[in-house]
Amino acid sequence: MIQDLLQSTPSLLNFGIFFGLAVLLLFVVLGFVTYGILSERKIMGFMQLRVGPNQIGGKWGLLQTVADVLKLLIKEDTIPKKADKPLYILAPVIAFAPAFMVLATLPFTDAFQFADIGVGLLYYMAVSGITTIGIVTAGWASNNKYSLIGGMRAAAQMISYEIPLVMSLVGIVLLTGSLNLNDIVAAQEKVWFIFLQPIAFIVFFIASVAELNRVPFDLPEAESELVSGYHVEYSGFRWAFFMLSEYVYMFAMATLTTVLFLGGWNSIPFLDFIPAAVWFGLKFSAVFYVLVWIRVTFPRIRADQLMEFGWKVLLPIALANIFLTALLKELFKLF
Amino acid sequence: MSLSGELIAFLGLALVAILGGVLLITLTKVVHMVIALVFTFLSIAGIYMLLSAEFVAVVQILIYSGAITIVMLFGIMLTKHQEREEPSKGRWGKFSLLLAVAGFAVAVYLGIYNLHIPVQPTTLHEENTKQIGIELFSKYVIPFEVMSVLLLVALVGAIVLAKKDDKDEEGDQL
Repeated sequence: MIQDLLQSTPSLLNFGIFFGLAVLLLFVVLGFVTYGILSERKIMGFMQLRVGPNQIGGKWGLLQTVADVLKLLIKEDTIPKKADKPLYILAPVIAFAPAFMVLATLPFTDAFQFADIGVGLLYYMAVSGITTIGIVTAGWASNNKYSLIGGMRAAAQMISYEIPLVMSLVGIVLLTGSLNLNDIVAAQEKVWFIFLQPIAFIVFFIASVAELNRVPFDLPEAESELVSGYHVEYSGFRWAFFMLSEYVYMFAMATLTTVLFLGGWNSIPFLDFIPAAVWFGLKFSAVFYVLVWIRVTFPRIRADQLMEFGWKVLLPIALANIFLTALLKELFKLF
Repeated sequence: MSLSGELIAFLGLALVAILGGVLLITLTKVVHMVIALVFTFLSIAGIYMLLSAEFVAVVQILIYSGAITIVMLFGIMLTKHQEREEPSKGRWGKFSLLLAVAGFAVAVYLGIYNLHIPVQPTTLHEENTKQIGIELFSKYVIPFEVMSVLLLVALVGAIVLAKKDDKDEEGDQL
Protein backbone atom coordinates (compact mmCIF):
# COMPACT_ATOMS: atom_id res chain seq x y z
CA MET A 1 0.00 0.00 0.00
CA ILE A 2 2.78 2.39 0.97
CA GLN A 3 4.67 1.45 -2.20
CA ASP A 4 1.70 2.54 -4.34
CA LEU A 5 1.33 5.72 -2.36
CA LEU A 6 5.00 6.57 -2.78
CA GLN A 7 4.73 6.28 -6.55
CA SER A 8 1.45 8.12 -6.99
CA THR A 9 1.19 11.78 -7.95
CA PRO A 10 1.45 14.13 -4.98
CA SER A 11 -1.70 15.74 -3.67
CA LEU A 12 -3.02 17.07 -0.42
CA LEU A 13 -4.82 13.75 0.14
CA ASN A 14 -1.55 11.82 -0.13
CA PHE A 15 0.10 14.22 2.23
CA GLY A 16 -2.79 13.73 4.62
CA ILE A 17 -2.48 9.94 4.44
CA PHE A 18 1.26 10.03 5.10
CA PHE A 19 0.82 12.50 7.91
CA GLY A 20 -1.96 10.43 9.43
CA LEU A 21 0.11 7.23 9.25
CA ALA A 22 3.12 8.94 10.82
CA VAL A 23 0.97 10.30 13.64
CA LEU A 24 -0.51 6.84 14.12
CA LEU A 25 2.95 5.29 14.39
CA LEU A 26 3.99 8.04 16.79
CA PHE A 27 1.06 7.18 19.03
CA VAL A 28 1.84 3.46 18.84
CA VAL A 29 5.41 4.25 19.87
CA LEU A 30 4.25 6.58 22.64
CA GLY A 31 1.96 3.85 23.90
CA PHE A 32 4.87 1.43 23.87
CA VAL A 33 7.09 3.89 25.73
CA THR A 34 4.40 4.52 28.36
CA TYR A 35 3.91 0.85 29.14
CA GLY A 36 7.54 -0.10 28.40
CA ILE A 37 8.68 2.19 31.19
CA LEU A 38 6.01 0.82 33.51
CA SER A 39 6.93 -2.79 32.78
CA GLU A 40 10.62 -1.98 33.18
CA ARG A 41 9.95 -0.52 36.61
CA LYS A 42 7.76 -3.44 37.55
CA ILE A 43 10.32 -6.05 36.43
CA MET A 44 13.08 -4.17 38.22
CA GLY A 45 10.89 -4.07 41.28
CA PHE A 46 10.28 -7.82 41.24
CA MET A 47 13.96 -8.57 40.68
CA GLN A 48 14.99 -6.34 43.56
CA LEU A 49 12.27 -7.73 45.87
CA ARG A 50 10.24 -4.54 45.75
CA VAL A 51 6.72 -3.92 44.54
CA GLY A 52 7.26 -1.20 41.96
CA PRO A 53 4.63 1.41 41.09
CA ASN A 54 1.31 0.37 42.62
CA GLN A 55 -0.54 3.55 43.55
CA ILE A 56 -1.96 5.26 40.47
CA GLY A 57 -4.26 3.30 38.17
CA GLY A 58 -5.12 0.31 40.27
CA LYS A 59 -3.02 -2.46 41.74
CA TRP A 60 -0.61 -2.55 38.81
CA GLY A 61 0.11 1.17 38.68
CA LEU A 62 -1.19 1.34 35.13
CA LEU A 63 -1.38 5.13 35.05
CA GLN A 64 1.96 5.78 36.74
CA THR A 65 3.83 6.79 33.54
CA VAL A 66 0.91 8.92 32.37
CA ALA A 67 1.09 10.82 35.65
CA ASP A 68 4.87 11.17 35.29
CA VAL A 69 4.54 12.59 31.79
CA LEU A 70 1.83 15.00 32.95
CA LYS A 71 4.18 16.16 35.70
CA LEU A 72 6.94 16.73 33.14
CA LEU A 73 4.64 18.72 30.87
CA ILE A 74 3.62 21.20 33.56
CA LYS A 75 7.14 21.59 34.94
CA GLU A 76 8.97 24.88 34.47
CA ASP A 77 11.16 24.95 31.38
CA THR A 78 14.53 26.23 32.59
CA ILE A 79 17.31 27.49 30.37
CA PRO A 80 20.57 28.30 32.18
CA LYS A 81 21.71 31.91 31.80
CA LYS A 82 25.15 31.02 30.49
CA ALA A 83 23.88 28.30 28.17
CA ASP A 84 24.31 28.48 24.43
CA LYS A 85 20.62 29.18 23.85
CA PRO A 86 20.02 28.21 20.20
CA LEU A 87 21.95 24.97 20.54
CA TYR A 88 20.34 24.24 23.89
CA ILE A 89 16.91 24.42 22.25
CA LEU A 90 17.95 22.56 19.11
CA ALA A 91 19.74 19.66 20.83
CA PRO A 92 16.67 17.65 21.99
CA VAL A 93 15.23 17.94 18.48
CA ILE A 94 18.43 16.64 16.86
CA ALA A 95 18.47 13.80 19.39
CA PHE A 96 14.84 12.78 18.91
CA ALA A 97 14.20 13.20 15.18
CA PRO A 98 16.56 10.37 14.05
CA ALA A 99 15.07 8.06 16.68
CA PHE A 100 11.70 8.37 14.96
CA MET A 101 13.23 8.33 11.48
CA VAL A 102 14.82 4.90 11.92
CA LEU A 103 11.39 3.38 12.51
CA ALA A 104 10.49 4.07 8.87
CA THR A 105 12.40 1.11 7.45
CA LEU A 106 11.76 -1.47 10.16
CA PRO A 107 9.49 -4.28 8.96
CA PHE A 108 7.18 -5.20 11.85
CA THR A 109 5.20 -7.76 9.86
CA ASP A 110 4.94 -8.45 6.14
CA ALA A 111 2.04 -5.99 5.91
CA PHE A 112 2.91 -3.42 8.59
CA GLN A 113 5.97 -1.54 7.43
CA PHE A 114 6.58 1.83 5.86
CA ALA A 115 9.56 2.04 3.52
CA ASP A 116 11.12 -1.02 1.94
CA ILE A 117 14.49 0.34 0.83
CA GLY A 118 17.43 -1.68 -0.42
CA VAL A 119 19.89 -0.55 2.22
CA GLY A 120 17.54 -0.73 5.22
CA LEU A 121 20.14 -2.17 7.58
CA LEU A 122 22.76 0.48 6.82
CA TYR A 123 20.07 3.17 6.95
CA TYR A 124 19.34 2.27 10.57
CA MET A 125 23.01 2.37 11.51
CA ALA A 126 23.63 5.66 9.72
CA VAL A 127 20.60 7.57 10.94
CA SER A 128 20.94 6.41 14.53
CA GLY A 129 24.43 7.94 14.52
CA ILE A 130 22.96 11.43 14.17
CA THR A 131 21.52 11.24 17.68
CA THR A 132 25.07 11.32 19.01
CA ILE A 133 25.43 14.81 17.57
CA GLY A 134 22.32 15.87 19.48
CA ILE A 135 23.70 14.46 22.71
CA VAL A 136 27.13 16.04 22.26
CA THR A 137 25.46 19.34 21.40
CA ALA A 138 23.30 19.13 24.52
CA GLY A 139 26.36 18.46 26.65
CA TRP A 140 28.19 21.41 25.16
CA ALA A 141 25.30 23.88 25.10
CA SER A 142 24.41 23.36 28.78
CA ASN A 143 27.71 25.00 29.74
CA ASN A 144 28.15 22.64 32.67
CA LYS A 145 31.18 20.49 33.29
CA TYR A 146 29.17 17.39 34.16
CA SER A 147 27.09 17.58 31.03
CA LEU A 148 30.18 18.23 28.92
CA ILE A 149 31.88 15.13 30.34
CA GLY A 150 28.67 13.19 29.72
CA GLY A 151 28.48 14.42 26.12
CA MET A 152 32.12 13.52 25.51
CA ARG A 153 31.64 10.06 26.93
CA ALA A 154 28.53 9.57 24.80
CA ALA A 155 30.40 10.51 21.63
CA ALA A 156 33.37 8.27 22.40
CA GLN A 157 31.18 5.36 23.41
CA MET A 158 28.70 5.54 20.57
CA ILE A 159 31.39 5.85 17.90
CA SER A 160 33.44 3.01 19.38
CA TYR A 161 30.53 0.62 19.67
CA GLU A 162 28.98 1.44 16.33
CA ILE A 163 31.92 -0.27 14.63
CA PRO A 164 31.52 -3.73 16.24
CA LEU A 165 27.75 -3.33 15.87
CA VAL A 166 28.04 -2.93 12.10
CA MET A 167 30.86 -5.47 11.77
CA SER A 168 28.88 -8.15 13.57
CA LEU A 169 26.11 -7.79 11.00
CA VAL A 170 28.40 -8.35 8.01
CA GLY A 171 28.08 -12.11 8.64
CA ILE A 172 24.30 -11.88 8.20
CA VAL A 173 24.71 -9.79 5.07
CA LEU A 174 27.11 -12.41 3.70
CA LEU A 175 24.60 -15.18 4.31
CA THR A 176 21.62 -13.25 2.94
CA GLY A 177 23.37 -11.44 0.11
CA SER A 178 21.30 -8.32 0.79
CA LEU A 179 21.06 -5.30 3.06
CA ASN A 180 17.29 -5.24 2.74
CA LEU A 181 15.58 -6.09 6.03
CA ASN A 182 12.74 -7.90 4.24
CA ASP A 183 15.20 -10.16 2.44
CA ILE A 184 16.94 -10.85 5.75
CA VAL A 185 13.66 -11.94 7.32
CA ALA A 186 12.84 -14.06 4.26
CA ALA A 187 16.23 -15.80 4.54
CA GLN A 188 15.35 -16.90 8.07
CA GLU A 189 12.24 -18.80 7.14
CA LYS A 190 13.87 -22.14 8.03
CA VAL A 191 16.70 -21.35 10.45
CA TRP A 192 16.97 -18.20 12.51
CA PHE A 193 20.26 -16.36 12.30
CA ILE A 194 20.78 -16.61 16.04
CA PHE A 195 21.64 -20.29 15.42
CA LEU A 196 23.75 -19.68 12.31
CA GLN A 197 25.53 -16.63 13.72
CA PRO A 198 25.76 -17.11 17.49
CA ILE A 199 29.01 -15.14 17.81
CA ALA A 200 27.57 -12.27 15.82
CA PHE A 201 24.48 -12.29 18.02
CA ILE A 202 26.50 -11.97 21.23
CA VAL A 203 28.66 -9.16 19.83
CA PHE A 204 25.61 -7.41 18.39
CA PHE A 205 23.66 -7.64 21.63
CA ILE A 206 26.48 -6.27 23.79
CA ALA A 207 27.17 -3.48 21.32
CA SER A 208 23.47 -2.64 21.06
CA VAL A 209 23.17 -2.27 24.84
CA ALA A 210 26.16 0.09 24.65
CA GLU A 211 24.54 2.04 21.80
CA LEU A 212 21.38 2.38 23.87
CA ASN A 213 23.40 3.90 26.74
CA ARG A 214 21.89 1.47 29.21
CA VAL A 215 23.43 -0.17 32.26
CA PRO A 216 26.22 -1.52 32.27
CA PHE A 217 27.23 1.00 29.60
CA ASP A 218 25.36 4.05 30.91
CA LEU A 219 28.48 6.16 31.39
CA PRO A 220 27.13 9.23 29.54
CA GLU A 221 24.51 9.68 32.25
CA ALA A 222 26.16 7.87 35.16
CA GLU A 223 24.06 9.23 38.02
CA SER A 224 26.57 8.50 40.74
CA GLU A 225 29.44 10.28 38.98
CA LEU A 226 27.96 12.91 36.68
CA VAL A 227 24.61 13.71 38.38
CA SER A 228 22.89 12.73 35.15
CA GLY A 229 25.40 13.47 32.44
CA TYR A 230 24.52 15.34 29.29
CA HIS A 231 20.99 16.30 30.37
CA VAL A 232 21.77 17.70 33.82
CA GLU A 233 20.51 21.16 32.93
CA TYR A 234 17.43 20.06 31.03
CA SER A 235 14.02 20.02 32.64
CA GLY A 236 10.40 19.49 31.78
CA PHE A 237 9.50 18.84 28.19
CA ARG A 238 13.02 19.13 26.77
CA TRP A 239 14.29 16.53 29.20
CA ALA A 240 11.32 14.34 28.28
CA PHE A 241 12.51 14.42 24.67
CA PHE A 242 15.86 12.89 25.61
CA MET A 243 14.14 10.17 27.61
CA LEU A 244 11.68 9.60 24.80
CA SER A 245 14.42 9.21 22.21
CA GLU A 246 16.20 6.76 24.49
CA TYR A 247 13.11 4.58 24.76
CA VAL A 248 12.23 4.91 21.08
CA TYR A 249 15.72 3.62 20.34
CA MET A 250 15.08 0.77 22.72
CA PHE A 251 11.92 -0.01 20.76
CA ALA A 252 13.84 0.21 17.47
CA MET A 253 16.77 -1.85 18.70
CA ALA A 254 14.53 -4.60 20.08
CA THR A 255 12.72 -4.63 16.72
CA LEU A 256 16.01 -4.80 14.84
CA THR A 257 17.29 -7.64 17.02
CA THR A 258 14.08 -9.54 16.36
CA VAL A 259 14.27 -8.92 12.63
CA LEU A 260 17.95 -9.77 12.27
CA PHE A 261 18.43 -12.71 14.60
CA LEU A 262 15.06 -14.07 15.70
CA GLY A 263 13.43 -14.43 12.31
CA GLY A 264 11.19 -11.37 12.42
CA TRP A 265 7.57 -12.40 12.04
CA ASN A 266 8.38 -15.99 10.99
CA SER A 267 6.82 -18.64 13.16
CA ILE A 268 8.21 -21.79 14.76
CA PRO A 269 7.34 -24.91 12.68
CA PHE A 270 3.84 -26.37 13.29
CA LEU A 271 2.74 -23.20 15.05
CA ASP A 272 2.13 -21.11 11.95
CA PHE A 273 -1.59 -20.75 12.62
CA ILE A 274 -0.67 -18.03 15.10
CA PRO A 275 -0.67 -14.68 13.22
CA ALA A 276 2.61 -13.04 12.24
CA ALA A 277 1.99 -9.98 14.36
CA VAL A 278 1.68 -12.11 17.49
CA TRP A 279 4.95 -13.88 16.74
CA PHE A 280 6.65 -10.57 16.25
CA GLY A 281 5.19 -9.25 19.50
CA LEU A 282 6.33 -12.31 21.46
CA LYS A 283 9.91 -12.16 20.18
CA PHE A 284 10.02 -8.41 20.64
CA SER A 285 8.83 -8.71 24.24
CA ALA A 286 11.46 -11.37 24.94
CA VAL A 287 14.24 -9.09 23.70
CA PHE A 288 12.83 -6.21 25.71
CA TYR A 289 12.72 -8.38 28.83
CA VAL A 290 16.36 -9.39 28.41
CA LEU A 291 17.34 -5.73 28.02
CA VAL A 292 15.64 -4.92 31.33
CA TRP A 293 17.14 -8.02 32.94
CA ILE A 294 20.65 -6.87 31.95
CA ARG A 295 19.95 -3.45 33.41
CA VAL A 296 19.00 -4.89 36.78
CA THR A 297 21.81 -7.42 37.11
CA PHE A 298 24.99 -5.71 35.92
CA PRO A 299 27.07 -3.01 37.61
CA ARG A 300 28.39 -0.09 35.56
CA ILE A 301 31.84 -0.58 34.04
CA ARG A 302 34.68 1.96 34.11
CA ALA A 303 35.32 4.30 31.20
CA ASP A 304 38.74 2.84 30.36
CA GLN A 305 37.39 -0.72 30.57
CA LEU A 306 34.58 0.33 28.26
CA MET A 307 36.95 1.52 25.56
CA GLU A 308 39.29 -1.46 25.90
CA PHE A 309 36.38 -3.87 25.75
CA GLY A 310 35.01 -2.26 22.63
CA TRP A 311 38.24 -2.03 20.67
CA LYS A 312 40.25 -4.97 21.95
CA VAL A 313 37.58 -7.61 22.51
CA LEU A 314 34.40 -6.93 20.52
CA LEU A 315 35.98 -5.63 17.31
CA PRO A 316 38.47 -8.52 16.85
CA ILE A 317 35.73 -11.05 17.59
CA ALA A 318 33.43 -9.39 15.06
CA LEU A 319 36.19 -9.39 12.42
CA ALA A 320 37.00 -13.04 13.13
CA ASN A 321 33.31 -13.81 12.74
CA ILE A 322 33.28 -12.22 9.27
CA PHE A 323 36.30 -14.31 8.26
CA LEU A 324 34.78 -17.50 9.66
CA THR A 325 31.43 -16.87 7.98
CA ALA A 326 33.01 -16.23 4.60
CA LEU A 327 35.19 -19.33 4.94
CA LEU A 328 32.32 -21.59 5.95
CA LYS A 329 30.06 -20.21 3.24
CA GLU A 330 32.64 -20.98 0.55
CA LEU A 331 33.35 -24.43 2.01
CA PHE A 332 29.67 -25.37 2.04
CA LYS A 333 29.37 -24.17 -1.53
CA LEU A 334 32.09 -26.62 -2.60
CA PHE A 335 30.28 -29.70 -1.36
CA MET B 1 7.30 22.02 -15.20
CA SER B 2 4.79 20.07 -13.18
CA LEU B 3 4.94 20.03 -9.42
CA SER B 4 5.82 16.50 -8.45
CA GLY B 5 6.61 15.14 -5.02
CA GLU B 6 10.20 14.71 -6.08
CA LEU B 7 10.48 18.38 -6.98
CA ILE B 8 9.01 19.49 -3.65
CA ALA B 9 11.45 17.23 -1.80
CA PHE B 10 14.33 18.51 -3.92
CA LEU B 11 13.43 22.15 -3.27
CA GLY B 12 13.23 21.54 0.47
CA LEU B 13 16.51 19.66 0.61
CA ALA B 14 18.30 22.14 -1.63
CA LEU B 15 17.07 25.01 0.50
CA VAL B 16 18.35 23.36 3.69
CA ALA B 17 21.67 22.53 2.04
CA ILE B 18 22.22 26.11 0.90
CA LEU B 19 20.98 27.58 4.19
CA GLY B 20 23.40 25.31 6.05
CA GLY B 21 26.23 26.46 3.82
CA VAL B 22 25.36 30.14 4.26
CA LEU B 23 25.04 29.73 8.03
CA LEU B 24 28.38 27.93 8.10
CA ILE B 25 29.99 31.04 6.68
CA THR B 26 28.06 33.68 8.63
CA LEU B 27 27.87 32.17 12.12
CA THR B 28 30.61 33.20 14.49
CA LYS B 29 30.79 30.35 16.99
CA VAL B 30 32.72 27.34 15.77
CA VAL B 31 30.34 24.78 17.30
CA HIS B 32 27.38 26.45 15.60
CA MET B 33 29.21 26.19 12.29
CA VAL B 34 29.68 22.46 12.70
CA ILE B 35 25.96 22.00 13.41
CA ALA B 36 25.13 24.01 10.27
CA LEU B 37 27.50 21.73 8.37
CA VAL B 38 25.60 18.70 9.65
CA PHE B 39 22.40 20.03 8.09
CA THR B 40 24.17 20.55 4.77
CA PHE B 41 25.56 17.00 4.83
CA LEU B 42 22.16 15.55 5.69
CA SER B 43 20.30 17.36 2.95
CA ILE B 44 22.95 16.37 0.40
CA ALA B 45 22.36 12.78 1.48
CA GLY B 46 18.65 13.39 0.90
CA ILE B 47 19.39 14.61 -2.63
CA TYR B 48 21.43 11.45 -3.31
CA MET B 49 18.42 9.49 -2.11
CA LEU B 50 16.20 11.34 -4.60
CA LEU B 51 18.62 10.35 -7.36
CA SER B 52 18.09 6.75 -6.14
CA ALA B 53 21.72 6.41 -5.09
CA GLU B 54 20.69 4.87 -1.78
CA PHE B 55 24.06 3.42 -0.89
CA VAL B 56 25.93 6.67 -1.43
CA ALA B 57 23.28 8.55 0.55
CA VAL B 58 23.50 6.23 3.53
CA VAL B 59 27.29 6.20 3.50
CA GLN B 60 27.25 9.99 3.31
CA ILE B 61 25.21 10.09 6.52
CA LEU B 62 27.29 7.39 8.18
CA ILE B 63 30.70 8.90 7.39
CA TYR B 64 30.14 12.63 7.06
CA SER B 65 27.32 13.56 9.40
CA GLY B 66 28.02 10.69 11.79
CA ALA B 67 31.72 10.12 12.17
CA ILE B 68 33.54 13.16 10.78
CA THR B 69 31.30 15.78 12.39
CA ILE B 70 31.56 14.14 15.77
CA VAL B 71 35.34 13.98 15.51
CA MET B 72 35.31 17.68 14.62
CA LEU B 73 33.03 18.53 17.57
CA PHE B 74 35.18 16.40 19.81
CA GLY B 75 38.33 18.20 18.71
CA ILE B 76 36.80 21.66 19.11
CA MET B 77 35.33 20.94 22.53
CA LEU B 78 38.39 19.24 23.96
CA THR B 79 40.95 21.75 22.79
CA LYS B 80 39.01 24.89 23.82
CA HIS B 81 39.62 26.22 20.39
CA GLN B 82 39.11 29.94 19.82
CA GLU B 83 35.39 29.97 20.46
CA ARG B 84 34.51 32.90 18.28
CA GLU B 85 35.74 33.89 14.91
CA GLU B 86 35.65 37.63 14.38
CA PRO B 87 33.91 38.46 11.12
CA SER B 88 36.04 40.57 8.82
CA LYS B 89 34.74 44.11 8.38
CA GLY B 90 35.18 46.49 5.50
CA ARG B 91 32.76 48.06 3.07
CA TRP B 92 34.80 47.73 -0.08
CA GLY B 93 35.60 44.13 0.70
CA LYS B 94 31.91 43.35 1.06
CA PHE B 95 31.03 45.21 -2.12
CA SER B 96 33.64 43.43 -4.21
CA LEU B 97 32.46 40.16 -2.65
CA LEU B 98 28.91 40.91 -3.79
CA LEU B 99 30.17 41.68 -7.29
CA ALA B 100 32.15 38.46 -7.39
CA VAL B 101 29.16 36.42 -6.22
CA ALA B 102 26.87 38.06 -8.75
CA GLY B 103 29.38 37.51 -11.52
CA PHE B 104 29.75 33.87 -10.58
CA ALA B 105 25.98 33.45 -10.52
CA VAL B 106 25.63 34.97 -14.00
CA ALA B 107 28.45 32.80 -15.35
CA VAL B 108 26.94 29.62 -13.93
CA TYR B 109 23.47 30.57 -15.18
CA LEU B 110 24.74 31.19 -18.70
CA GLY B 111 26.72 27.98 -18.61
CA ILE B 112 23.92 25.79 -17.34
CA TYR B 113 20.90 27.28 -19.10
CA ASN B 114 21.54 25.82 -22.52
CA LEU B 115 23.41 22.76 -21.40
CA HIS B 116 21.96 19.51 -22.68
CA ILE B 117 22.85 16.34 -20.88
CA PRO B 118 21.79 13.44 -23.10
CA VAL B 119 19.72 11.08 -20.98
CA GLN B 120 20.09 7.44 -21.80
CA PRO B 121 18.17 4.72 -20.02
CA THR B 122 20.44 2.87 -17.61
CA THR B 123 20.00 0.25 -14.94
CA LEU B 124 22.33 2.02 -12.53
CA HIS B 125 19.55 2.76 -10.07
CA GLU B 126 18.55 -0.89 -9.58
CA GLU B 127 20.31 -2.68 -6.74
CA ASN B 128 23.11 -0.14 -6.81
CA THR B 129 24.75 -1.54 -3.68
CA LYS B 130 25.37 -4.80 -5.51
CA GLN B 131 26.57 -3.00 -8.62
CA ILE B 132 29.00 -0.85 -6.63
CA GLY B 133 30.36 -3.97 -4.94
CA ILE B 134 30.86 -5.85 -8.20
CA GLU B 135 32.54 -2.88 -9.88
CA LEU B 136 34.75 -2.25 -6.88
CA PHE B 137 36.01 -5.80 -6.55
CA SER B 138 36.42 -6.60 -10.23
CA LYS B 139 37.28 -3.48 -12.22
CA TYR B 140 38.75 -1.21 -9.56
CA VAL B 141 40.42 -3.73 -7.31
CA ILE B 142 43.88 -2.18 -7.44
CA PRO B 143 42.82 1.40 -6.59
CA PHE B 144 40.72 -0.07 -3.81
CA GLU B 145 43.67 -1.97 -2.35
CA VAL B 146 45.94 1.06 -2.72
CA MET B 147 43.36 3.10 -0.80
CA SER B 148 43.36 0.56 2.00
CA VAL B 149 47.17 0.63 2.19
CA LEU B 150 47.01 4.42 2.33
CA LEU B 151 44.51 4.30 5.18
CA LEU B 152 46.66 1.76 7.00
CA VAL B 153 49.66 4.06 6.69
CA ALA B 154 47.59 6.93 8.08
CA LEU B 155 46.46 4.72 10.97
CA VAL B 156 49.99 3.62 11.83
CA GLY B 157 51.18 7.20 11.53
CA ALA B 158 48.49 8.41 13.93
CA ILE B 159 49.42 5.73 16.46
CA VAL B 160 53.12 6.61 16.22
CA LEU B 161 52.36 10.30 16.75
CA ALA B 162 50.11 9.57 19.72
CA LYS B 163 52.71 7.27 21.28
CA LYS B 164 55.41 9.94 21.01
CA ASP B 165 53.26 12.47 22.83
CA ASP B 166 52.66 10.05 25.66
CA LYS B 167 56.36 9.43 26.27
CA ASP B 168 57.21 13.12 26.37
CA GLU B 169 54.51 13.77 28.93
CA GLU B 170 55.73 10.94 31.10
CA GLY B 171 59.23 12.37 30.89
CA ASP B 172 57.94 15.76 32.01
CA GLN B 173 56.17 14.27 34.96
CA LEU B 174 59.25 12.43 36.08
